[in-house]
Amino acid sequence: MADQLETLRSELRAWLAQHAPADWRAAASHEEFVASQRDWFAKLVSAGYAIPHWPAEWPGGGRSLAEQKVIYEELARADAPRLLLSFVSTYHAFATLHECGSPEQQARYLPRILEGETWCQGFSEPNAGSDLAAVKTRAERRGDTYVINGQKVWSTMAQHADKCLLLARTSSEGAKQAGMTYFLMDMKAPGVTVRPIHQIQGDEEFAEIFLDNVEVPLADRVGEEGQGWAVAQTTLSSERGLTLMELSYRMRGALVRVANLIRDNGRSEDAGVLRDFGQLVTQVDAVCALANQFLANRMRGIERVGDASIVKNSYSRALRAYAELGVRLGGVGEQYRAPITYGDLNSGNWMADFMNSYAWAIAGGSEEIQRNIIAERMLEMPREPRSWVLP
Amino acid sequence: MTMSREELRDSARKAFGEDGPMPDAGASWARLSEMGWFMMTVPEDRGGLGLGREALAVIHAELGRALVPGPAIAQMLAIEALSAAGGHDELLAEAMAGERITASLDPGANGLTLTCVPDVDRASRVLVVARDRIALAEIGSATPRSTWDETRRLFDVVPGAEIVLAEGAAAHALADQLDAQLLLALAADSLGAAEAVLALTIEYLKTRRQFDRPLALFQALKHRLADMQTWAVGADALLWSRANDQTTLTDMGALKAHVTRACLRIAEEAVQLHGGIGLTEEHPCHRFLKRIFLNAALGGDADHWDEQTGRAALAGMTDGVGERG
Repeated sequence: MADQLETLRSELRAWLAQHAPADWRAAASHEEFVASQRDWFAKLVSAGYAIPHWPAEWPGGGRSLAEQKVIYEELARADAPRLLLSFVSTYHAFATLHECGSPEQQARYLPRILEGETWCQGFSEPNAGSDLAAVKTRAERRGDTYVINGQKVWSTMAQHADKCLLLARTSSEGAKQAGMTYFLMDMKAPGVTVRPIHQIQGDEEFAEIFLDNVEVPLADRVGEEGQGWAVAQTTLSSERGLTLMELSYRMRGALVRVANLIRDNGRSEDAGVLRDFGQLVTQVDAVCALANQFLANRMRGIERVGDASIVKNSYSRALRAYAELGVRLGGVGEQYRAPITYGDLNSGNWMADFMNSYAWAIAGGSEEIQRNIIAERMLEMPREPRSWVLP
Repeated sequence: MTMSREELRDSARKAFGEDGPMPDAGASWARLSEMGWFMMTVPEDRGGLGLGREALAVIHAELGRALVPGPAIAQMLAIEALSAAGGHDELLAEAMAGERITASLDPGANGLTLTCVPDVDRASRVLVVARDRIALAEIGSATPRSTWDETRRLFDVVPGAEIVLAEGAAAHALADQLDAQLLLALAADSLGAAEAVLALTIEYLKTRRQFDRPLALFQALKHRLADMQTWAVGADALLWSRANDQTTLTDMGALKAHVTRACLRIAEEAVQLHGGIGLTEEHPCHRFLKRIFLNAALGGDADHWDEQTGRAALAGMTDGVGERG
C-alpha cells in the first residue's frame, strides 16, 4: 500500500518535471491563460491525473483518498496551475450529473467534460445571493422546450464556458424553494449574453449572464419540474465538501511559498514569525484532516448536515490567514501594484491571493450562510422567523 | 483485542458521564482500574491490552468531558515508561492494577524539584524524566500547590532514591515518547472538556428566554455557536489524524497548541454566553475553562510549540520550487 503510493508519487513527480507548465502565471492575456488551461487539462486527462475523484469506470478515476492526496500534494509541489477553467465541470457538473442526471444526460455530457467541454454555474442573481431561493429567472414550458428569461451573476468563468448549470423558476406558487427547476443550458444558444466582472484583484474570474428568450430542450432538464432546489443542494454540497480535499492539500503544498518568503527576508530566526508560521502550518493541517475525514465519512455513507459547511468555513479562514501572513511578511513590496497574474492561492502575488481569498468566504454560500446552516441545521437552534414587519 | 474508537468512547462515556461533571475522585479511580484502562496501552505479552495511542486519547477525552479528577495522565505516563523500558514486571503489574505512580505534567520545566505532579500524597513513587535517565523515585518531600483548576491536586516534589528504568540514548528516545504521550493526553482531555461545555452552552441558549424568545434565536449568538462548533470539529479531525505512534514530538506539540487554543476560545465564549450564571461557583462552566487553561500551560505552551513547529516546517520546506512566476 505504502509502496504503491510511493510509486504513484515518483511517477507523477517525473511526469510533472517533464510536463508541468512553468510560465503560466505570466500569461499575456486572459485568452492566453485560458488556452494554457485547456492545454494543461488535456495533458492531465491523457496522463490520468485530472479526475482522481471520479468513479473507477472513468480513466484516471477511482483513486483512493490516499492516492488523491499524493496527486494534489505533487501538483502543488511542482507549482502546476490549478484547473480553474475545468473546476466547475469536474466537480459541480460532475457531481450533479452523476447523482441527479438521467442515464442519457450522463452518457451525453460526462465524456465531453474529459474532452474539454467547460461548464459554469448559473445560480446567483442580483437579488438572489445569500437568499438563493429568491431566484427570479423564469423558465416557461412551451411544448418540448423551456424558454428562459432573466439574469445570473457570479458565474465562474462563464465567458469561456460551453454549458451552464442553471437554476430557474417554473412556478411562483407555494414555498419559494418548491417552484424551482434545474437545467443544463447551452451557453452558445441564441439569447445568451455574457459580461465579465472586473474584480478587486484585477482579474475577471466571474461574469454576469443575461438570458433573453433562451430555449432549453426538455431533455436538458435535470429531475422533475419543481425539484431544482434539491438538485442545487447536490451541486453546492460538492462545492463545499468535495473540492476542498484538493484545495486543502494544494494549500499545504503552497506553504513553501511562505517558507521561501521568510528565508528571503532574513526572518528565519525571528521567533514571532516562526510562531505565526507554525500556527498557520497546523491550521492548514487541521483543514486537511477535516477534508480527509469528510471524504472518508462520505465514502462510508456518513454525512451530517452541516459537515460540508464546517469544511468550507475552516478552509476559507485558513486561506485568509495564509494570504494575510504572506502580505504581512512581504511588507511594502507587496503594496506595489503587480501585473495581473493567474492562479488563486498561488498567483505569485500575495495581495492578489489575499483579495482572492474573499471569493471562498463569499461564493458558494457566504461564511455567514454556512454559520446559519451549522447553527440551525446541525446544532438544531431555532430558525429565523420567516417574516418580519418594519417597526 | 480490537475495539473501535466509537465503542471504546461509548463505554467510557457510560462509565463517567452519568453522574454529572466532576464525579468522586476515589470512585472514578476504582472504575478506571476495574475497566482495565490502566493496562490499555501495555503490550499483550506484558499483561496489557495492546491498544495504541488512539485508545489512550479516547479515554483521556472522556475524562476531560466529565471533568474526572485524579492523576490519570500521570499514571499512564508511568505505565508507559515501565512498559517501554522492560523488566520491573511487579511494578508494572501494580501500576496496571491502580497502584498510583505519579509524574510531572510539565516535565520541560523541571530542575531538581519536579513541578506540577498530581496526587503525590496518594502515590507510592514518582516518575523522573531527565535528559540522561528515566527513573522511578521515592517521594522525598512534597509541597502542595493549589490551582484554579480544582479537578487537579498538584505538588512540587523533591524525588528520593531512584530505580533507573533507562539511561543514555534509550532514555532520550523514551523521554520523547513520553512527552508526545503527555501532549496527546492534554489535547484529548481539553477537547473532551470543550465539547462538553459547548454542549452545555447550546442547551442553555435553547432554553434561556429573554425578550420573549429563546436566546438561540438571535443570529449574533447563533453565529458564535457555529464558530465554536467549527473550531471543535477542526480540532477533533486534527487530533484523530495524529493520535498514533508515528506522530513526531513536534507534530504532537503542534497538535496540543492548536487544540488547546481552539478549546480555550470555546470555553471562554461559553462563560460569556452563559451570562450571569456563568460567573457563579455552582454552575460547572468555569470548571471546564480552568481545566483547559491548566492543560494549555502544561507540557509546553502554544508559543513554545508554535515556534518549534515553524522552525521544523521551515527546515522541511526546502525542496519545493516556490515562487517562479
